[in-house]
Amino acid sequence: MATVTTPTPVRSPTKAKMRLPRRRQEIGKAGWGWTAFVGLVSMVYFFPVLWIILTAFKSRTDAFAIPPKLFFTPTLDNFVSVFYRASISGGSQQTDFPLYFFNSIFIAGLSVLIAIVLGTLAAYAFSRFPLKGTDTYMFIILTTRMMPPIVAIIPIFLMFRLTGLSGTYFGIILLYTAFNIPFSVWLVKSFFDELNPEVEDAARMDGATEGRVFFGVCLPQVLAGLAATFVFGLILTWNEFLFALLLTGVETRTVPVAMARTLGGEVGVDYGLLAAIVTLFLIPIFFVTFLLQNQLLRGITFGTVKR
Amino acid sequence: MAELRLDGVVKRYGRTVALDGMSFEVGDGEFFCLLGPSSAGKTTTLRAIAGLEPLQAGSIAFAGREVTGAPVQGRGMAMIFQTFALYPHLSVRQNLAYPLARDGKARDEVRRRVDEVAELLRVGHTLERRPATLSGGEQQRVAIGRAIVRRPKLLLLDEPLTNLDAKLRHDMRTEFKRLHRELGMTMLYATPDQLEALTMAERVAVIRDGRVVQTAPPRDLYARPDSTYTAGMVGAPMMNLIQGRVRHAKGGATIELPFGALDAARWGDGLRAGDEVILGIRPHDVRLGSDPHALSLRAGVRLTEPLGDVTVLDLAARGAPLKMVLREEVASRLKEGGEVEVSFRPQDAHLFHKETGVRIG
Repeated sequence: MATVTTPTPVRSPTKAKMRLPRRRQEIGKAGWGWTAFVGLVSMVYFFPVLWIILTAFKSRTDAFAIPPKLFFTPTLDNFVSVFYRASISGGSQQTDFPLYFFNSIFIAGLSVLIAIVLGTLAAYAFSRFPLKGTDTYMFIILTTRMMPPIVAIIPIFLMFRLTGLSGTYFGIILLYTAFNIPFSVWLVKSFFDELNPEVEDAARMDGATEGRVFFGVCLPQVLAGLAATFVFGLILTWNEFLFALLLTGVETRTVPVAMARTLGGEVGVDYGLLAAIVTLFLIPIFFVTFLLQNQLLRGITFGTVKR
Repeated sequence: MAELRLDGVVKRYGRTVALDGMSFEVGDGEFFCLLGPSSAGKTTTLRAIAGLEPLQAGSIAFAGREVTGAPVQGRGMAMIFQTFALYPHLSVRQNLAYPLARDGKARDEVRRRVDEVAELLRVGHTLERRPATLSGGEQQRVAIGRAIVRRPKLLLLDEPLTNLDAKLRHDMRTEFKRLHRELGMTMLYATPDQLEALTMAERVAVIRDGRVVQTAPPRDLYARPDSTYTAGMVGAPMMNLIQGRVRHAKGGATIELPFGALDAARWGDGLRAGDEVILGIRPHDVRLGSDPHALSLRAGVRLTEPLGDVTVLDLAARGAPLKMVLREEVASRLKEGGEVEVSFRPQDAHLFHKETGVRIG
């Protein structure tokens, strides 16, 4: 067990201290003991992901070895077989995984983007131009997320069949957008509510039109919040399985559905292949989160307003 | 000539009445102050003038033009907000340039004017920084800079010093006076602090429940408050307000107070026997020692409040509280729990009707 040093009692930081670079100040305050402890807990959380990534580079025998091998000769065979599989004639044949990856990125990306755009506009309206009963509307918006989605699956399935939306990009994007809007509205509204409305009044007095107030003053202040909302929505949609299974077709199949279809068969579960797909599947999310990291951490609006 | 005129302005939020027939005039280039406690309607008044609040009734005219209902943009006014309201996502330079950019000024003119204002307000060293990294005083000066950079005809100030510490407040009071002199613009300043109103304004309007109760230059406001409300509002420590009753005796009318009778000849025939009145006497007008031409009384010293150069004494005479101010070296000889002989003269006293609070004489 790691020894844990007692944290120094919390003092109210002086102004000079607040200006220190964030990271150094925090380690200084918490001490190495706590830092190591948090690192350990993070490792526990990260371990399954690490395990999957390692498995992706293992040969079939290594993947099934007991006790598990931590040191092994890495191989890229699993990654190759995601895209090419041996055909009966002895040659290799391309799989449809490039299409599935494209589908996942296209469907999740576009639906979350549309949901953020619509959600942000709605959130601004709810936050700045309240109607009679705004709280009721907000509650109604939330109720759509209160039941497990599976409850609605049969009517949605039938509606999609009837309207011909089944198996189309338009259909699944529409559905995911509808799922993402409520929580986008709620999250983004809370960010708008946090802003100081006097800043907007100041902009109006400085001659800014309502459009400029929104795009030039409000929106830049909630960018960090929009980034966070985007990442959450993306992760939810990216991993969605149930509706994708029922409502996508051969052409619009997403990776989670395709992944499920590799299970079974005469050879049992090919864990190496599965791990390779998951590893590839993680990359876009890692990438987006990493890109937005600065936005997520920046928190530009904190401490600018004295209340 | 009146630069700004409010006439019977009414503003309601649901059932709460924020402005209840607010009327006053501000002259061209005047430093005018709205003085009132929180929720008296000062901020709403400023916001109404700026056009940020739609009105239910009344009219506002500015620079010879009716502006009631006109859009906020293009009124030719600027405002300094209580929270400073700087654009947190823009640098100080961009903050200062914002109003000019909205006016469509050329880039080098914007640059020149921003540098000018930055120098005037001594924030030149902060131009490339974000507002969050500035101290309270610097943020305040940037907020002033943004407000004056396009030389508005009217500057609205909404409790601009409330968020600053005591030392900075003092400095900024002088700063506002200097700016007013140098820029010559009309200033409308809202504050709950009587000291700010007295030190800076040319005229003060005392606000109560959404309407003006008295408008006067600071000196007159202090010397002749119209009502117990103004009397309690202006001057520190607060004026002593003591309940009394008018009595006619052989030597003429007197005012019976808990601790004695004061000669009421000064107020002439206006007083009827039995009238309930409130007598006001400023702590500075209560003297140590007895005086044949004044009301003298013995009072117990309950508390002493040293302020450095002077000390406020909290006295009690026959159950009635009375405050007085003494020079520190005199006060230091007195002890809490002891007794003193004090007096005040009729000509220093103010008299008000008890029921209406209105001044007599």
